[in-house]
Amino acid sequence: MNRVRNFKLILWMILGLGAAVATARFMFGLGVTTNLSDRTPWGLWIGFDVMSGVALAAGGFVLTATVYIFKLDKFHSIVRPAVLTAFLGYAAVAVGLLFDLGLPWNIWHMIIFWNPHSALFEVGWCVMLYLTVLLLEFFPVPAEEFGFLSKIRNFLIRLRLPLVIAGIALSTLHQSSLGSLFLIMPYNLHPLWYSPILPVVFFISAIGLGLMMVTFESLFTAWLYRRKPEMELLERLGAAARWVFLLYLAVRLGDLAVRGQLVHLGGGEWQVGMFWVELAIAVVIPTVLLFIRAVRRSPAGLMTVAITSVTGIVLNRINVGGLVHINRGDTLYLPAWTEIAITSAVIAGAAVVFLFMVEKFNVWERRPADPDAEPTRKPKFHPVDGSWLGEPGIAARTKYSLGFIIAAAIGFALLSGGPVESRGVDPTPARMARGGDTLWIDGNLDGYGTSFPHLEHIRRNGGGRSCVKCHHMNLPHDRNSACYQCHSDMYLRTDAFRHDRHSSPTGANLACTECHVKGQVRNVESAKRCDECHNDLVPPGSSIKVKQYRAVSYTEAMHRTCIGCHTIVATSKDKPDLSRCTTCHKGQRNVTDATVLASQKRRLIGKRMVLPPIYRK
Amino acid sequence: MDAWIEFGRGPLFRLCFTLMVLGLARIAVLTVIGMVEALKKNEDKIVPWRELFNKTFTWLVPVTVLFRTRPVYSLVSFLFHIGLIITPLFFTAHVLLWKRSVGFGWFTLPQSLADYLTLTVIVGGLLLFLMRVLYGPARAISRKQDYVWPLLLVIPFLTGYLCVNGSISAATYRWMMLMHVLTGNLIMVMIPFTKIAHCILIPFSQLVTGIGWKFPRGAGDLVIETLGYKDRPTWVEKPRLGCESMDRVEREADDK
Repeated sequence: MNRVRNFKLILWMILGLGAAVATARFMFGLGVTTNLSDRTPWGLWIGFDVMSGVALAAGGFVLTATVYIFKLDKFHSIVRPAVLTAFLGYAAVAVGLLFDLGLPWNIWHMIIFWNPHSALFEVGWCVMLYLTVLLLEFFPVPAEEFGFLSKIRNFLIRLRLPLVIAGIALSTLHQSSLGSLFLIMPYNLHPLWYSPILPVVFFISAIGLGLMMVTFESLFTAWLYRRKPEMELLERLGAAARWVFLLYLAVRLGDLAVRGQLVHLGGGEWQVGMFWVELAIAVVIPTVLLFIRAVRRSPAGLMTVAITSVTGIVLNRINVGGLVHINRGDTLYLPAWTEIAITSAVIAGAAVVFLFMVEKFNVWERRPADPDAEPTRKPKFHPVDGSWLGEPGIAARTKYSLGFIIAAAIGFALLSGGPVESRGVDPTPARMARGGDTLWIDGNLDGYGTSFPHLEHIRRNGGGRSCVKCHHMNLPHDRNSACYQCHSDMYLRTDAFRHDRHSSPTGANLACTECHVKGQVRNVESAKRCDECHNDLVPPGSSIKVKQYRAVSYTEAMHRTCIGCHTIVATSKDKPDLSRCTTCHKGQRNVTDATVLASQKRRLIGKRMVLPPIYRK
Repeated sequence: MDAWIEFGRGPLFRLCFTLMVLGLARIAVLTVIGMVEALKKNEDKIVPWRELFNKTFTWLVPVTVLFRTRPVYSLVSFLFHIGLIITPLFFTAHVLLWKRSVGFGWFTLPQSLADYLTLTVIVGGLLLFLMRVLYGPARAISRKQDYVWPLLLVIPFLTGYLCVNGSISAATYRWMMLMHVLTGNLIMVMIPFTKIAHCILIPFSQLVTGIGWKFPRGAGDLVIETLGYKDRPTWVEKPRLGCESMDRVEREADDK
């Protein structure tokens, strides 16, 4: 039993270290506790905690399917630990995600604000639903101990088959949709890993990994509690796993061959080596070993196979999750020790809960007995000072908590005590503009865009030095302001100024009279000029001379770029309807009033509409 | 030297401070768990809450209890504790250090008041040490750490006072500051593991006794039986056998 206690002591110390780092992460943010940046936003926490955590939990759905759907009842004795592992794995994913999210308190947003085009949306919903299903699947086990829960327990047991089916469906969706996440980046992921059937590849490897994870967990806890491992069952799992691995190997190589990507294997990049290493330890070596009967029958052999393949498939997830992405820039991302501490703490937390469940409830057919806790056993005193920490349970509590606080204190001591700052945005070198006079802007790539008079904007905003007005240095990757940020209101002629942002408590939180003169009507005239407060808005010596802080509304700006041109073409091509509203707004016939059109036309001509050169022929 | 001072109030401080805070929280939690378990195991579940509560509050200001028997000791001890707790927490320079490190601070003491409190602690600590050494009954129940603690607690106050007010050379200042920082850290790290843990255990000290110190059910009857007083009533109003009722039994037996 001492093995268990020592193991738990280590787990509690890891938890202590993690608690210290977690405090720093939530107090001071990601910049202080991680090596992540805008170029490498996904690191160890996504690659390992989320991508691999989900895959490691695959044993749950594989075994529930085996036992409850295919009715292979002999595996019944390892279903419960497998479901528990899956539940804890998913809970660990959820907890790990909270650390990685910049605004973790917004995690509920996906429940209300749906974005059905997003693969992450599906991932999020699957995690949420499958976590619930796993909880309901596992709940009957602890409920055995509490009489007052018997009704709920009976109800859940009757509901088991639908739950199992839902679990399998959700897992299938979810394991594969983690692969779908990367379908969006064909030019980022190395071609040896990118594939249109990435979801299928993920799903097959998850099944293999699930089997291996159940094997590993079973053998490890058997060693820990000095139990006899269920070798007969594990041997069968291993026998099944080899065929899954063979299928995986065939799909993976076949996919590369079909898509003509095998040529990459001849290249000298480090990714090729990585590909072979990954494939060897994930699949090839385990499969070869599993075909040897002696290996399948010995605990040590099976353990070797399990560890090898689990490492290999986790490596696969880490590779796809970020390691083999190309065009990542020159900076090499290596996880900070704090990131590793959090990851280890999340795993240690799951392990502590697992051991607790195993000891307190009937997760296994027989609960592990604690030889130290026998009532007839004599107390063991400390050989040197003769002290006694109490009964084994109490002594363990004393030791674990001491280990926890010492590790936490060391964690706090190791954290950087310097001024709190993040690494921030990677500097982007300035380069000359591509120099288009007119740009075609079609942000959502739906084919409906607008021609943006870039040259005209430069002219209107103050010439060559006016770039910084829209191309902010403070946005990542030199991104420019969106149109609506100046052309802010839909219909009114507007200020290039966000009034609500200035007045709201979450923004600048200014009182009215801090900008408007007291006693006068509060409008543009009675307000301060922008540069009275933002005195660094225009740097000294700049050639920009700001005349007005107003812009036309978004709708107005859009209309001008279209209608002006349409009007000209309408006359030149003799198509009088071309500039009418219904030509573009097909569903809205009520705006085709002749007088409205006439006034609009007059106004546009009066404004000296600047037309993009492509239409000027 | 400066590097050592920086180390003392950087990583070493974080280590010791965390150990102190978490260590105190740990023993508080362990004590509460222990009490709950004791209460569960105990057959006699009556806890005189009000009595224990009153006792705890009375002893929070020991002057009220001890003034008649040991007036000087009770006063010195009380003032010593006030200075000991308030000065380090609300000293301006300490709060500024906090602000520099975590970004928030709190209100501070005026320098003159801080000086007076510091002097109180220094004088009080020395007096407490002398009283322990010179007073026979105190000496009889003292352990080694009881002699060390008052002196150890005085050191950071003395060095801190000299650093702020003394006209000392820069080299001496550094030595003093290093001593100040190191002894401060040493005290913090030792608090949860020595008798100074009473700073968090005060609310539980009476409670633990009240919950845990019970006779087994029926023990009184057996004792009475053994003593041969079986035919006499041992208690009437409360089904518990405390010292008072035992005295009464004895007295009644003597009367007869």
